[in-house]
Amino acid sequence: MGNVDLNFKSTVPTFDANVALGRRHDRRVVVDTTAGLIEAMDGSGIERAVVYSPYAAHFDTVEGNEQLLDMIKGQPRLIPQLVANPAVEDLDTFAAQVESLGVRSIRFHPDEHKYPLRDWVVGSWLEWMESEGIPLWIPVAETDPVSLHDIAAGHPGLSIVLTETHYSQVPWAIPFLKSVSNTSVEVSRWVIADGVQRLMDTIGAERILFGSRFPDSSMGNQLYNLHRSDLSESDLAAICAGNLDRLLGLE
Amino acid sequence: METPVIDFHTHSGRWGNTAVFDDPKRYIEIMDAAGVDRANINCIFHSDASKGNNIVAERFVSQYPDRFIGVAFVTPHYPEEAIPELERAFNELNLRSLKVYPTYYGKPIDDPGYFPIFEWCNDRGITLMSHSSHGPGDDGLTIPTSFIPLAQRYTNMKWVLAHSGNGRPGQELAVKAAQACPNIYLETCSSFADHKTIDFLVEGAGEDRVLFGSDMPLMDARAMVGRIVTSGISDQAKRKVLGLNALKVLGLEE
Repeated sequence: MGNVDLNFKSTVPTFDANVALGRRHDRRVVVDTTAGLIEAMDGSGIERAVVYSPYAAHFDTVEGNEQLLDMIKGQPRLIPQLVANPAVEDLDTFAAQVESLGVRSIRFHPDEHKYPLRDWVVGSWLEWMESEGIPLWIPVAETDPVSLHDIAAGHPGLSIVLTETHYSQVPWAIPFLKSVSNTSVEVSRWVIADGVQRLMDTIGAERILFGSRFPDSSMGNQLYNLHRSDLSESDLAAICAGNLDRLLGLE
Repeated sequence: METPVIDFHTHSGRWGNTAVFDDPKRYIEIMDAAGVDRANINCIFHSDASKGNNIVAERFVSQYPDRFIGVAFVTPHYPEEAIPELERAFNELNLRSLKVYPTYYGKPIDDPGYFPIFEWCNDRGITLMSHSSHGPGDDGLTIPTSFIPLAQRYTNMKWVLAHSGNGRPGQELAVKAAQACPNIYLETCSSFADHKTIDFLVEGAGEDRVLFGSDMPLMDARAMVGRIVTSGISDQAKRKVLGLNALKVLGLEE
């Protein structure tokens, strides 16, 4: 008889690295409110989450980021991540907003915003983030591995988080992660069998981040996987929260 | 909690473009870690079906009969081989159900080339699982509602829609198919499933007609079990989805 925990919740402090909060233009998602998100987090034993605005990713960064900040006002469990469009936005204005709000991470959506991830578009932004110690999240389906590798190798002081890496991207993702050590991987879509072990063997626990991709995925599936992957308590704690705290300077 | 857990959907084969494992011992280690008792296993990628069915029987089922349940496959591209291979797979190799993968063959599920296969299954009350998918960019070969006329025509067999339509547009059609046909079941593995997908499937199709599957080695059984246990359905519904329903569908003892 299978030994399963029918009412599983995380047994370690858990900080979700990838949550979208708010309505979307293309469909009605299952949870699009702050209260609904908090309820889902409680259901899986997740204490905190990095949240971004899907409206900012899909249409308008300025308005989307403002909507997000408004939605999470007074909610200390939700840590805002601003979406930037470096192809069209003014860096100085954006940098001033980041500084005044104390924002700790930024997200690019090159495909949605229709620019190539090349230094001649994003270079000044990456230099600023590198100098300020602000990490960059990139959904890997939104760019190509060569461009991603070039910017990671060209900005060794910049921390880059590969988010939503799917099993179909594993063939290039493993050598990529080996090649550029200033990168981490968020595991919401890294559900390939033995995926956690393969990451442990390739890059070690310190570059792995728990993330759910909520509400496009459930919050608990990868948490359950991580809890059943024979990780040491310290590695599990690092993957579930410690690494993200360190990246965001929240230790 | 101890409860039967049957993984309805695993594959043998290295999937060269993802370099996954193909060692039965590693499957079993992951099944143990996930809490899975037994797994339905198929090998559907050879153009010669007998090769795949032999791999399932020899490398998996005969070596670990308590852990693997053999799933046959046949290809519609060689119809003259299909029925003899079905006879061999079920009568000699003792495989227990059939998997078809129209997306891989390039033939829609309602192509008449499959009909002799369906008739053979229907005559014997065989359970057939097929890939199912619908959504933006999809190939249209396995739209869940295209199973309705088939399930209504071949009523003595059980139809399992792998991935439950894969993504919310497909899931909505999969639920519609299950509501239209009492012999349609929905299998849960997917890398495109929203939060509360399991709740949606159980609410729509009923807790007796949803089956846990992982798609190992493409996806990890631990993550896919995680989707069931962290869903909002009742504990009894979780037990049914995880294994009790599969035992009934496959005619196995607890």
